[in-house]
Amino acid sequence: MFNLFSLSWRNIWRHRGRSLMTAGAVGLAVFFTLVYLSFLGAMENGIYNNLTASVGHLQVRVEGYREKREFRDLLIPNAAQVEARLATQTQASRVVALEIPALVAGETRSRGVLLIGDQRPPELRERFVKQSLVEGRLPEAGDLDSIALGASLARALKVRLGDAVYVYAPGTEGRGAGAYRLVGLLRFPDPAIEARSAYLALAAAQELAAPGSATRIELHFPFTRYSQDAQLDTVQPALAASLGPGLSLESWREASPAIAQIFNLLTPLVLIFAAIFFGLAGLLVVNTIYLGLLERTREFGVIVALGAGPGQVTRMVVLESLLLCSSGALVGGLLGLLTIAALSGGFSLEALYGEVGSVFGLPEKVYLSLRAWDIPITLAYTLLTGLLAAWWPARVAARLEPVEAMRFTA
Amino acid sequence: MTPVLQVKELTKVYRVDTVETPALRGVSLEVHPGEFIALAGPSGSGKSTLLHLMGGLDKPTSGEVWLGGQRIDGLSKAQLSNLRLWNVGFVFQAYNLIPVLTALENAAFVLELRDEPREVRESKALQALETLGMKDLAHRRPNQLSGGQQQRVAVARALAARPKIILADEPTANLDSKTGLALIEHMRTLNREQGVTFVFSTHDPRLLERVDRIVRLEDGQIAA
Ligand SMILES: Nc1ncnc2c1ncn2[C@@H]1O[C@H](COP(=O)(O)OP(=O)(O)OP(=O)(O)O)[C@@H](O)[C@H]1O
Ligand SMILES: [Mg+2]
Repeated sequence: MFNLFSLSWRNIWRHRGRSLMTAGAVGLAVFFTLVYLSFLGAMENGIYNNLTASVGHLQVRVEGYREKREFRDLLIPNAAQVEARLATQTQASRVVALEIPALVAGETRSRGVLLIGDQRPPELRERFVKQSLVEGRLPEAGDLDSIALGASLARALKVRLGDAVYVYAPGTEGRGAGAYRLVGLLRFPDPAIEARSAYLALAAAQELAAPGSATRIELHFPFTRYSQDAQLDTVQPALAASLGPGLSLESWREASPAIAQIFNLLTPLVLIFAAIFFGLAGLLVVNTIYLGLLERTREFGVIVALGAGPGQVTRMVVLESLLLCSSGALVGGLLGLLTIAALSGGFSLEALYGEVGSVFGLPEKVYLSLRAWDIPITLAYTLLTGLLAAWWPARVAARLEPVEAMRFTA
Repeated sequence: MTPVLQVKELTKVYRVDTVETPALRGVSLEVHPGEFIALAGPSGSGKSTLLHLMGGLDKPTSGEVWLGGQRIDGLSKAQLSNLRLWNVGFVFQAYNLIPVLTALENAAFVLELRDEPREVRESKALQALETLGMKDLAHRRPNQLSGGQQQRVAVARALAARPKIILADEPTANLDSKTGLALIEHMRTLNREQGVTFVFSTHDPRLLERVDRIVRLEDGQIAA
């Protein structure tokens, strides 16, 4: 026995080819929307991971550090104490870094660099090694004699592993100069950074330029991108309050406003594209539903004559449109999910944007993944397309006069 | 006895562009419960128009239509469709059935529109089909049925809904005369055995022999 639902379903497939084509268009819109959204999610995820790996989720800095030019004004005094206080309040891994503008020299050449004295827990150290070290090793914690350089910087200075490297940091509060042995070569995606990178152990850097101080303390949380906003919102104010005066706590968003801004722009952009896809598919749906109505005008005339009210006739037309859209969406959605599953293992984009991409923090490898809202958003688009496409035909159908409709000849 | 359906001084003028066609010019008629009435008359005499007005499918230019004691000529579109749903059965000349539904589902269609429960729909529709000798073909689609069988399903659909009156506009026009006669016989039997009130139109004189009341229309008026 039928109901209005199965009646609509059977009516759709009276014109199999036409309906298949229309459902296919909706399916394509669903497919592309899902894949684009998951691609976007993957890109954001990659950028987020790169960024938080390099600067942490939260950073302690001297208040107003962006406006300060003098090295001494950027220093967090008693960095060890500040770090210890943070340690009592959060499980996050901590990186303490002292950045010093300095001059490094080999036997015959010298260059201006940003010297970084850096102390990080083993898991972050390992990640750094894996990502950036090309030869040798990093200076061990507490090692006062070793230095690692950007590979291109070492070439420019004409130094090799084992050679002596001299560092000058005049006008600072430490010894101001030191001699180190080159133990490691580093590679960075951005050549400009590689040409100005030099790494010491934190203790060595403090001895050189600022005993006991640091310029930033990074906090690395085990957050995933999707939970982090909510979690940071609760953690950040509490931690900020516990810092002494003169210090500020910034999230990675505040530290990299341009990239955070890109995040806010990308999703609306994809949604606008999706709206265009669905709009085009929707025109086909309108056409199919309206033609179906036109061809069946006499039939609708009989249905109205038998006592179907405007509401019931409207429901029949809307149901047809929704069923048409959702059958396409089902197939397109399944294909989309399969594609996403197949590419969730990650694929490289190097071919697409080459080396340049990593300069902007774009991930080298993306792992397609759906975010919480991707499927609901796609479903909402499908539903909206079905309803909007049915609107006009449904109005026409609801206004049919039975006698005229039954006399209708196409 | 109060008439189940009554029209008084009914006129209907069709207006196409500036041309006015008077289809009915003052028709008065009473239909009593259990009657079996044939509307006869030449083509263009107004038979269809009268049936449409009696069943609330269209509104008259002037005059009154009463159905079961209620005046219906001034009702709104929504009220009229509700009235048809619960009170009037229709059988048309052609394109009666919904092609994607089986005979049984077509017979149950009005009940579905009324939102009756599934079992009730099914048993009423099946019973109506049985009365018309169509039970064995209940699961066929219309295109697997002959013209006469299709019209019997249409009568079964009207019957299953138990309306106050069944209006049939040339139900036999597309049938050969033997099949047409058999359909009228079915209707006649329903009328006699179950007291179903019928008004049907035809211009086949042979169908008029079994009818107890013939209303002849000529040029939009009832001929004496
Ligand atoms: N929708 C309409 N618009 C204009 N004129 C119409 C319309 N319907 C019917 N007419 C005219 O009204 C008159 C009566 O038509 P009606 O269909 O009621 O006659 P009928 O007796 O049913 O004829 P037939 O036996 O051919 O079915 C005819 O002159 C017809 O042309
Ligand atoms: Mg007629």
